[in-house]
Amino acid sequence: MKKFVAAGLLAMAASSLAFGADDWPSKNINLTVPYGAGGTTDLTARALANAMGKDLGVTINVINTPGAGGSAGSLNVQNAPVDGYTMLANGMLAFATMPVNGYTEKTFREWDVWIATYAPNCIIVPKDSPYNTIQDLINDIKKRPGQVTAGTAGIGSGGFFGAETVKAIAGANYKHIPYAGGGPALTGLLAGEVDFVPQLLAEYKDLIIAGKVKALAVLAAEDITLAPGVVVPSIMKSYPNEAKKFVPMGEVTAILLPKGLSEDKLKKIDKAFDVATKDKAFLDFCAARSFEVIPKGRAESQQFLEGFAGKAVYILYDGGAVSIDPAKFNFKRP
Amino acid sequence: MAWQYIGEAMGVALQPYNLLVLVLSTGVGLVMGILPGLSATMAIALLTGITFNFPTQSALISLIGVYVGAISGGCQAAILLNIPGTPASAATALDGFPLARRGEGGLAIFIATSASCLGTLLSVIFVLTLTPLLTAFALKFASWEFFLLSIFGILICGTLTAQGNAIKGWISGVLGLLVAQVGLDSVDTVARFTYGNVNLMATIQLIPVMIGLFGFPEIVKAFKVSGSEEVMSLSKFEMTKGLCLVGRHILAVIRSAFIGVGVGIIPGVGEDVGGWLSYWASKARSKLPESFGTGNPLGIISAETGNNACIGGAIIPIMSLAVPGSAPAAVLLAAFFMHGYRPGPLLLTESPGFVYSISVYLVLASIAMWALALLVAKGTVRILRVNKKILMPIIFMLCVIGSYLINYNMFDVKVMFVFGLVGLAMTAVKVPAAPFLLGVILGPMADSNLRRALRLYDGSFATMFQRPICVFFLIVIACMILSQMGVFRRLRKKKAPEAA
Repeated sequence: MKKFVAAGLLAMAASSLAFGADDWPSKNINLTVPYGAGGTTDLTARALANAMGKDLGVTINVINTPGAGGSAGSLNVQNAPVDGYTMLANGMLAFATMPVNGYTEKTFREWDVWIATYAPNCIIVPKDSPYNTIQDLINDIKKRPGQVTAGTAGIGSGGFFGAETVKAIAGANYKHIPYAGGGPALTGLLAGEVDFVPQLLAEYKDLIIAGKVKALAVLAAEDITLAPGVVVPSIMKSYPNEAKKFVPMGEVTAILLPKGLSEDKLKKIDKAFDVATKDKAFLDFCAARSFEVIPKGRAESQQFLEGFAGKAVYILYDGGAVSIDPAKFNFKRP
Repeated sequence: MAWQYIGEAMGVALQPYNLLVLVLSTGVGLVMGILPGLSATMAIALLTGITFNFPTQSALISLIGVYVGAISGGCQAAILLNIPGTPASAATALDGFPLARRGEGGLAIFIATSASCLGTLLSVIFVLTLTPLLTAFALKFASWEFFLLSIFGILICGTLTAQGNAIKGWISGVLGLLVAQVGLDSVDTVARFTYGNVNLMATIQLIPVMIGLFGFPEIVKAFKVSGSEEVMSLSKFEMTKGLCLVGRHILAVIRSAFIGVGVGIIPGVGEDVGGWLSYWASKARSKLPESFGTGNPLGIISAETGNNACIGGAIIPIMSLAVPGSAPAAVLLAAFFMHGYRPGPLLLTESPGFVYSISVYLVLASIAMWALALLVAKGTVRILRVNKKILMPIIFMLCVIGSYLINYNMFDVKVMFVFGLVGLAMTAVKVPAAPFLLGVILGPMADSNLRRALRLYDGSFATMFQRPICVFFLIVIACMILSQMGVFRRLRKKKAPEAA
């Protein structure tokens, strides 16, 4: 096995030597998605890969390597030779929190990052729920700390960050009911088992439009219009001061490469990424799922992640989900 | 309106290119189903990536074809080798293998395949007519119901496989449940029984466990028997006889389809449970329950109709809620999204033809599956005549490769070996392996739902008794345990003298 890997690495090294920078890319590029085919990250990555590949003149193959909450695939890319033929597409909640989860010592600062989309959290309640506004919910959490139940896809999932944001705003705890995934949490809500679900808006957009659930607020800076007449208010409207530190909260998806690729190759990726985020098929895909397209170049992405990762890791740390102090990696408390 | 959509979908599906896609993908699914280790979930996941750039309708046809093919193909390995090709076909082996040993492998495969085909067809009728009603039923299932359903499934499986001594089957099921506890738990993400091992943290994979449990005993058995291993003669089977058999049990087919659809709809419970429940229902209603497990065609028919009817059932909550009913259906849902469809409550208004397209593709796929499976069976049946000492080393190789392919991880091969030894030990003490497997499948569901329910209701069990479906399960579970203890027999004996 080891010999096999060594031989593979040698072959890769040889091939990267053989081709100079000017003719990169001269063969197909592999884009690792650290989750199974068909998930949010996977679909976003595929839509981007198609468009970026067209601009670069090669095919970008999506490789799904699920395992260990997305860290297995990320670490594969981190350890692969930096030749521009192995890239990563990942959600930033999972990626930016890898160091405090103890998976790696390297933070996002050691990667070149291109942020493509943002999918906000959205607080929903059953259609016959007594809560009609986000204030109703937060007031009830204040009144009955530890009693109001929130169904999420588990600790560290997108929904967990949403629930913790609600907790911070209310200043009182909710009762966390983790499910095996976003789908089961949603069925739990529809079956009337939990009081609210704070997962990503994209997971139940159509149920909101159809009136099967009530949407109380999105954790984005602006209101979101799902369909004519169906507007989900931003949490900033009701709690501008309390929510400011956390908004925008949700999943941010990006293309990544470990630092070390030469500047001329990076420029080519910059251009391909720019073209891809304007690609019609990609924009249509994002619109259908209510993802906001927020293309950010390398420098801007780093700046964005300083704030975003700080929020995410401290939510995990303060919530008791991880025990490694984020200060060790110079994460800034929001 | 409906007929127009059906006509359109037929038109699309019968284009030569799409027809080719249908036959090819059903065939691929079938082969993956037959080979132990390549499961339906994996087949669909692989195709999801491949079909990304296909035209939308062709991609849908291909995915449906693979799904139907893989679930149906599993029966062939179960019947011929006593090694289920997919976890869903474990119940089929119970009667299929004894029948095949009598030289009637061809007949067994024929009725299993026909039952599979009928199961899918009947489930399509449910999809078309009862989707809203059945969705409401699915939403009756919350944490307590899921917990009791999983316990119920394991008890049934234990009773069915233990040849009279259900306790042995239950022990096996509980051991399976315990194995399922290994790894990061889904409620508090605490690592349990992992001893710092990263691979164990990702939980023990199902497929290596299955391959080991069922494969090893068969492999070893082939070499234990001395040289005069019977090389089976195959009795020729006539299609009319098979059709008669299926026709005679048509009521069982309909009952099993009902059960299968019901199980399929419930999110998280899938094809594997569907097969067991319908098998149990048929045995419970039979006048000759002893004949089950000895090659009763009714057993094969029930199990195969039941697991295939889950396909239609599992698709129902996808269409109405965008929540999948089983593991392969989850991958299918993802594929629908990928091709620009938005399953869920808006589906009927946004793409009203979609439900009909899927139904038509399901029907065509199950017919293609029927023809292809019988064609393939002509070849696979001959396996019975191959000397086991030559065949089994090849099967062994497939076991290793199959385990490795799940995650391209050597650890899974080691898991396969460990559970192979467990399987050998269990065969030696005549403890059935099937409940163990079902325990591993349902373990996470039983565990997380029990703990979730207890957390929801502050550690109180009382709420369990306030829910009608729970009470039903509790009564059936109690009856099963009591009857095993002989309580009913004793009651009857007591009553008898009084009457006289």
